[in-house]
Amino acid sequence: MRAFFLTVVMMFRHYFRDRTSLFWGMLFPLILMGLIGTAFGREADLTLPVGFVGAGPMAEGIRRGLAEVPVFEVTDETDADAALAALRQGERALVVVMPPSGGGPVRAYFDQGRGLESRTALLILERFIAEANLRASGVPPALRLESAGVAAARELRFFDFLLPGILAMTVMNSGLQGVTWVVTEYRQRLVLKRVLATPVRPAAFLGGLVTRYAVTNLVQLAVIIAIAVGVFHAVIAGSLLTLAALAVLGTLVFVGMGLAISTVSRTPESANLLGSLLNFPMLFLSGTLWPREFMPQTLQPLISALPLTPLVDTMRAVSARGESLAAHLPALGYLTAWGVAAFLLAAWRFEWE
Amino acid sequence: MSSAPPIVTVTGLVKRYGVLTAVKQVSFAVLRGEIFGILGPNGAGKTTTLEMIEGLRRPDGGTVVVDGVDVAADPRGVRGRIGVQLQEAGFFERLTVEETLTLFAAYHGRSIDPRPLIERMQLADKRGARVITLSGGQRQRLSIAVALVNDPPVLFLDEPTTGLDPQARRNLWDLIAGFRAEGRTVILTTHYMEEAERLCDRVAIMDHGRIVALDAPRALIRAHARATTIRVTLTGGGADFAALPGVMDVVQDDGEIALASGDPMQTVHALMDLNRTGTLHFHQLRIEEATLEDVFLHLTGHRLRE
Repeated sequence: MRAFFLTVVMMFRHYFRDRTSLFWGMLFPLILMGLIGTAFGREADLTLPVGFVGAGPMAEGIRRGLAEVPVFEVTDETDADAALAALRQGERALVVVMPPSGGGPVRAYFDQGRGLESRTALLILERFIAEANLRASGVPPALRLESAGVAAARELRFFDFLLPGILAMTVMNSGLQGVTWVVTEYRQRLVLKRVLATPVRPAAFLGGLVTRYAVTNLVQLAVIIAIAVGVFHAVIAGSLLTLAALAVLGTLVFVGMGLAISTVSRTPESANLLGSLLNFPMLFLSGTLWPREFMPQTLQPLISALPLTPLVDTMRAVSARGESLAAHLPALGYLTAWGVAAFLLAAWRFEWE
Repeated sequence: MSSAPPIVTVTGLVKRYGVLTAVKQVSFAVLRGEIFGILGPNGAGKTTTLEMIEGLRRPDGGTVVVDGVDVAADPRGVRGRIGVQLQEAGFFERLTVEETLTLFAAYHGRSIDPRPLIERMQLADKRGARVITLSGGQRQRLSIAVALVNDPPVLFLDEPTTGLDPQARRNLWDLIAGFRAEGRTVILTTHYMEEAERLCDRVAIMDHGRIVALDAPRALIRAHARATTIRVTLTGGGADFAALPGVMDVVQDDGEIALASGDPMQTVHALMDLNRTGTLHFHQLRIEEATLEDVFLHLTGHRLRE
């Protein structure tokens, strides 16, 4: 028991004295999260620049009305030519030209290059004109629309989505990139042989090593969560304790896989490479950094079979949507089966020298 | 060497790697309290033999009993009562010297104060230093300190001074002699004949997986290398060296003559006479005692280190 306990403590110290592994364990996930978050996670703050040309009381009334549309940012233009030039340069989504006081149509010009924004602006304008006409005719509207935003308890922001993916990735990396390197390196440098030359039970040593991965992962995840919440304003809807339990389960599974890999590839380089070969496809396919629905339909059965997928899905359900584990037990069972298989392979083939 | 039972008994040990037989029917007994050396060139089977005794390798034949425990039956029990220093064993590089000893003591089921041991192995100023920062000699002393954490009656040292500079080597010899002084048995392998001669009470000479001779270093030299070598550097003249009294063999190399003599006193006397009469001029005469190197050459037909 003392051998196990001291292995955890000493291996923990050993790990935290290594700057390289701290980079990969903590800084890298945070950098990745910051980069992906800022690149893809921009908030939907739609503003449509509208150029307005027109004078007179009628034009003034329309202008004031348009300025009240929340997403419109109305700029007055001196004449139609200047307004169209601005539109062509991409500075406007829509240009509205009022008819001279004599009458005629209200002309709207939109940028065909900015299809979605211009069409949205056009739609709003059409609806605005229709409303204005209706008011002018004095007929009371037969139908009224009242809209209310219906969402989950709160809006899901991209960082909230991204954070559990990053956490699952960190857990996976510790096993497929960390254990593969560390164990083969200990074997190559005869550290494992040195341990074996004592009467210690292998289970006490290896158990201590696995436990230190669980502990360091919990510490790393806590730091990542703290920074994600503090700096990126990510929100965790579910239980932190449940997340911690998932992190421990994930650690056991991927450390088991790392140990299994270290029995197949004998050098640190080749074991690490084999780990990466499993690591990267899962990172990109399993919905870690973006929804896995983005991946082609034909790949979905494969994606569902990957061990990272149930971990990401469950961690995201807990973290982003605040769910409990009850609905995810089959997924967790599948994940555990991977872990058991990996440990059996590792136990069967493990060599100390 | 009393009639006390041996502390290590090795009988008919065999190890095969595929078609190669690394250790062929090796048998010997190590007495309590002696420094027992296994001397041989690289690849002779020394480490394999040692690791089978330590229970780290399973022999393909033969038995080993250490301190009354059969290694095959209870390898963990044997590991508990021996101290093992492995050749080139690695440690956790970012743990300190003190942490390393605390950890390995725990692997022996012990809780020790590592400081006296650190002091003893002359690592006091490195107590809080990480293993990665240690020099070769310091690392080797740490390796031996780890072998001592369980206060073992038998200590196995596998090439303890390989790679060390002469001063560090001599320093380690003193420490190892100290283990014998406190009643421990030391079994070491080496390919330095000087180390075996200076340090060991008895030496087993090993070559190609077999023990070719086993005795005290002096006795081995007496038995297998009676000749003393007398070297003279000639400046002029000449003589029929082979005809000089006691001379058994003559090797002439440039201006230096090496005479193997069974009676060095007589040979030197004759040489001095020739020098005095002017038949022969030499400005240097050296007498070299036979060493284990000569024993090895005599027994195996090749040198210890080629």
